[in-house]
Amino acid sequence: MNRFSSPVVMLALLLCFLLGAYSSATAAYPAPKEIEQTLKELADRNKNDATLIELARTPGDRPVHLLELGAKNANLPAIMVVANMEGDSPMGSSAALDLARLLLTDWKDELAVHRWYIIPCGNPDGYARYFERPLTGSTVNDSPFNADKDDATDEDGPDDLNGDGYITKMRQVHPEGNWVEVADNPILMRKVDRKKGEVGKYRLYEEGIDNDGDGRINEDGPGGVNPGHNFPHNFRHFTETDGPWSASENESQAILRYCFDHPEIAMAVTFGRSNSLKSVPESNRRAEAGGSKFKLPKRWARRMGIDPEKEFAMSELLPMARDFTGYKELTEDMLLQWLDAGAKVNPDKNDIGYWKEISERFNDFLKENDLDGKALDAPGFSNGSFEEWAYYQYGVPSFSLNFWTLPEPEKAQEEKKTDDSTLTLDQLEKMSAEEVIALGEEKIAAFLKTQNAPAQYTAAMVIKGLEGGMITPRRMAEMMRKSGKDDEGGADEKDEALFSFNPDAFVAWQEYNHPTLGKVEIGGMIPTSDHTPPFDTAAERISKQLPFLKNLASLLPRLVIKKVELTRRSSGVWFVETWIGNEGFLPYPTHQGKRCQRPAPAVVTISGKPADFLEGRPRQPLGLLEGSGGVEKLSWLLRARDGSNVTIKVSSFSAGSDEKVVSLKEAN
Amino acid sequence: MKTLCVLFISTLLVVSTVTATKTAKVYLSFDHYYDGPELVSSFERLNAAYPNLTELRVIGTSEEGRDIHLFTINNKKTGKDTDKPGIYVDGTIHGNEIQAAEVCLYLAWYLLTNYDTNKSIRELVDTRAFYIIPVVNVDHRWRFFSEAGGYNIGRTAMVPYDDDRDGLADEDPPDDIDGDGEILSMRVADPFGGWKTSPDDPRVMIRVEPGEIGEWRRLGSEGIDNDGDGRLNEDGPGYLDMNRNYGFKWQPPYVQSGAGDFPMSSKPTRAIADFVVTKPNICFNFAFHNSGGMWVRGPGSKLAGFYPPADVKVYDFLGHEGEKITPGYEYIIGGQDMYTTHGDFDEWMYSNNGIYGFVGELFMSEQERYRRKEPKNKTKDEDEFAYFGGTAGEERQKFSDNLTQGEMFKPWKKFNHPQFGEVEIGGWRTFTTRMPPPFMILEMVHRNASMVIFTARHVPEVSLELIDVTDLGGGLKRVRVRASNPNAIPSLSHNAIRRNIYRKDILRIEGVEVVSGGIINDRFLNRVDAVEHRPHMIFTSIPSFGKREVQWIVKGKGKAKVTYEAVKAADRELTIDL
Repeated sequence: MNRFSSPVVMLALLLCFLLGAYSSATAAYPAPKEIEQTLKELADRNKNDATLIELARTPGDRPVHLLELGAKNANLPAIMVVANMEGDSPMGSSAALDLARLLLTDWKDELAVHRWYIIPCGNPDGYARYFERPLTGSTVNDSPFNADKDDATDEDGPDDLNGDGYITKMRQVHPEGNWVEVADNPILMRKVDRKKGEVGKYRLYEEGIDNDGDGRINEDGPGGVNPGHNFPHNFRHFTETDGPWSASENESQAILRYCFDHPEIAMAVTFGRSNSLKSVPESNRRAEAGGSKFKLPKRWARRMGIDPEKEFAMSELLPMARDFTGYKELTEDMLLQWLDAGAKVNPDKNDIGYWKEISERFNDFLKENDLDGKALDAPGFSNGSFEEWAYYQYGVPSFSLNFWTLPEPEKAQEEKKTDDSTLTLDQLEKMSAEEVIALGEEKIAAFLKTQNAPAQYTAAMVIKGLEGGMITPRRMAEMMRKSGKDDEGGADEKDEALFSFNPDAFVAWQEYNHPTLGKVEIGGMIPTSDHTPPFDTAAERISKQLPFLKNLASLLPRLVIKKVELTRRSSGVWFVETWIGNEGFLPYPTHQGKRCQRPAPAVVTISGKPADFLEGRPRQPLGLLEGSGGVEKLSWLLRARDGSNVTIKVSSFSAGSDEKVVSLKEAN
Repeated sequence: MKTLCVLFISTLLVVSTVTATKTAKVYLSFDHYYDGPELVSSFERLNAAYPNLTELRVIGTSEEGRDIHLFTINNKKTGKDTDKPGIYVDGTIHGNEIQAAEVCLYLAWYLLTNYDTNKSIRELVDTRAFYIIPVVNVDHRWRFFSEAGGYNIGRTAMVPYDDDRDGLADEDPPDDIDGDGEILSMRVADPFGGWKTSPDDPRVMIRVEPGEIGEWRRLGSEGIDNDGDGRLNEDGPGYLDMNRNYGFKWQPPYVQSGAGDFPMSSKPTRAIADFVVTKPNICFNFAFHNSGGMWVRGPGSKLAGFYPPADVKVYDFLGHEGEKITPGYEYIIGGQDMYTTHGDFDEWMYSNNGIYGFVGELFMSEQERYRRKEPKNKTKDEDEFAYFGGTAGEERQKFSDNLTQGEMFKPWKKFNHPQFGEVEIGGWRTFTTRMPPPFMILEMVHRNASMVIFTARHVPEVSLELIDVTDLGGGLKRVRVRASNPNAIPSLSHNAIRRNIYRKDILRIEGVEVVSGGIINDRFLNRVDAVEHRPHMIFTSIPSFGKREVQWIVKGKGKAKVTYEAVKAADRELTIDL
């Protein structure tokens, strides 16, 4: 894979130069205006392969663009790439443009098999703030929002008091303060733990003044909503930045509409902060409503003569409900709706297997490309994210890639030495719950001891927690790393990592005479520096990781007619059997897709002139076909004139089509 | 004598009503159902006759390009609509629930034609804004009049949907196979079908007793298996239920059928949502549906959470009055007393926007009575039991025969069905079952519009008064002011306060130097919650039938101006002489 990357980088740089997308050879992250320009140029130069669509305009009057790549009108599955949806991923936008360039040059062969739809920036307003000074770190769009619900809107934003171009922190020595300097690195601050006898010194504020005189600093800054948190799965109401309801923003609404108008979309890939390829999303979230056991509403329980306090599994309830209503076609989903069980919040356990395999392949890929250095975990999905919506409500496989997180600081990498027989945190992290349980109580106990776990945290408890799904090995390792640090009284893990990666990401504390707070010091982390590295670091990471997208695309389901078998039952009467198979790695649809009824079902039709259907129907929708050879058998009993042909066809929007003609000949 | 007297008085009442009607500028009758063009032209006539009080405008179009009309009643001479408390009323979000539009039309007509003659109506119209959207689902209400249909056909927005998951959308709708202009019911002779002809009325089918052989199988709506999948009428036009398409805790179609692709994905719901956010003065909404006779409030689901008790009291007060204004209606909680709904309009209005509201389920078939006066000693349970047995069949047939001359029911008639062979088609006709026969329309629209008017009286009205001014010496004075609201609806709902949905109301003092200020918790014990910053501006609200008292300690002489700036009520001003 390595041999891929250097020509790719060179080509990308060359293209940048030729297209004038970047201001100079020492390229930088593309600003919204530059993204727009680059897209227009790409579309102009590649009229046959690229179409630029303006999906929406933001409240700040910026376009949300989508570049459609691949032959127009081709009936090919499409991959939807949404970058920088949350406005906080300059790397994502940069990667999306690189991907578009690759697909139009070195990867042209890819356009023969898939269409690619690329949104280089889903939140141009929020992203534009990255290029504004002072740099605030805010990622909301430009729609006004009265955050403090007083008599003015957007009237108390941050102020760059020291004029350094960054909104950092202010610290004030105060009796209420619960922050102190980190002992060995006083540029960093940490919160004290009063239960350990630590006493605080500073109160911490964001840099700014109380512009509206309500006693609060920076509580109502400019904008708005982050459209990247505005999608309808797991949306949060009544926050300051997620919008009043989901799909309230032009940006999110337009992307949703586009997806529903394009049923050929077979996969979603997000370039943002989260990374579902490196580690598979956790699956132990608690549902807001419902669960796996259900009580019947009282009045129905009474009518059915059933104890309203008793809980039933779905497998018990479904036959009961069918008998009682006499409605034989009653499905589990219909019953779940009626029971108010709510939406699915964890990936379907039947889909997870596929995700895990893909994640393993991705981690191998990183290793091959020397990108497997220890780094901090990527943040999880945001509430109301595009990533999760694409899987839970749109039903397609959805992967996210963040290209880079802060490398772990040297110090943290020296883990406590253990003898060979004992587990390390690194090993633990990579194990499945079953594997950890299989170690047995003794080994787990030894491990807990070496990690200085609190005495009440016993091996039996760990096993129980893993069995019940209350905790995952990854989460466990994470917690132990954190608790290990607390003991040292050191800095926050992220601060420390950032400092060791780039000490210039922190502004030294300097005295300032604040109009209402009096004497303060201004300093601390420069916004965005913790998630966006200098461009050179990013460019290398991006060019090395983009090739994995080709691997992902190759995993899409592909439906084919595996076999057709004819049996003559009587003169002119034929029993036709066919096996429809899935030759791709991924299932069609996903198990969640089947549940959420979103990818249109694949359909099998049989046609031919004098065909009389004695059994079976000429048009039948298919159910779910598992990946890697999943198969469904269909059959018909036909009456046909000797020698007539029938055509069997499987067609789908996003998993390909296939057809076979068979001849019904007595002599055969 | 007593009877005579009552008769005399009621004759007088009739005469006076007729007189009032004659002086009205626009005469509208409520003895029939208005089709689309007649409905729009009636609002146009009202608008032309009352240009200073009304505005008719199009706020959006439907999937099929029809206009969605908004009729605003606001006396421009007494101020801008958004400076007055607003009442929002809409109807027919489900296209087959047509008489909701008549309630809207009647409400507008009644308010306007009585404006000159009735003082109470005049005061109401002068101090409130009414926003009326008579038809939300314009596509299907229009179709209800112009196409072959049935009383259960036409609930959805015209957004294609693959209901049966076969890769095709809307390909197997019910069909008017006998070409009589209506889609009624079908039955086929089948001894194992579970139904038999009633011995009392050959038009009525009753269930067989255990062990009995039957005569009929009910096939549901008139139609054929258009797509040949072995199922009948399983994929009709659309399925996007606009009353599941709104944005509060919206759930996707696999959790809530009919939800649509995402919140406000249908054109009418988006248009209405966009409109509602421009009118923060709306404090109550009515959404009229049919049927069943109910005033329904949320929460509609467990997900929606609970309503603060102080808001429940407001609902209870209005709901219980409503049960009397529309006798037979029940005031209920949707999610608990009926069924779970996600994404309905009312939940969005209340939970997301802090606006109270009721769904009015117009008409219940119990009103189609054909029986003698009940003996007084009958218990309620027996009565209901007799009703359910009767109205489903024989009593209702008699009602149709003798009060509508048989208009309501189409007798069973043989028809040769392409898939079932000989069937019979017949049943309750399109303009029945969910709506009363025409002679009963007037009382229905009047009582339901009266509930809107009753509620409109209870929107918040603030009055501002000085409690006292006390000289504290050294140039300091204590000023105490009371803002009160004599009505049931508070100036902000408790949900709006809990969720921080709006700017709160502001009690502001100007013209003096303010040393401190705060809300008085107990006037007699002098307990005050002081405001730490900007004490001249106190953010607050006034509860239901309640008051808010504040105090300021000020320095200065002359006149001070106190204002109450309300989000959902008219602002008030008070000048205090120090």
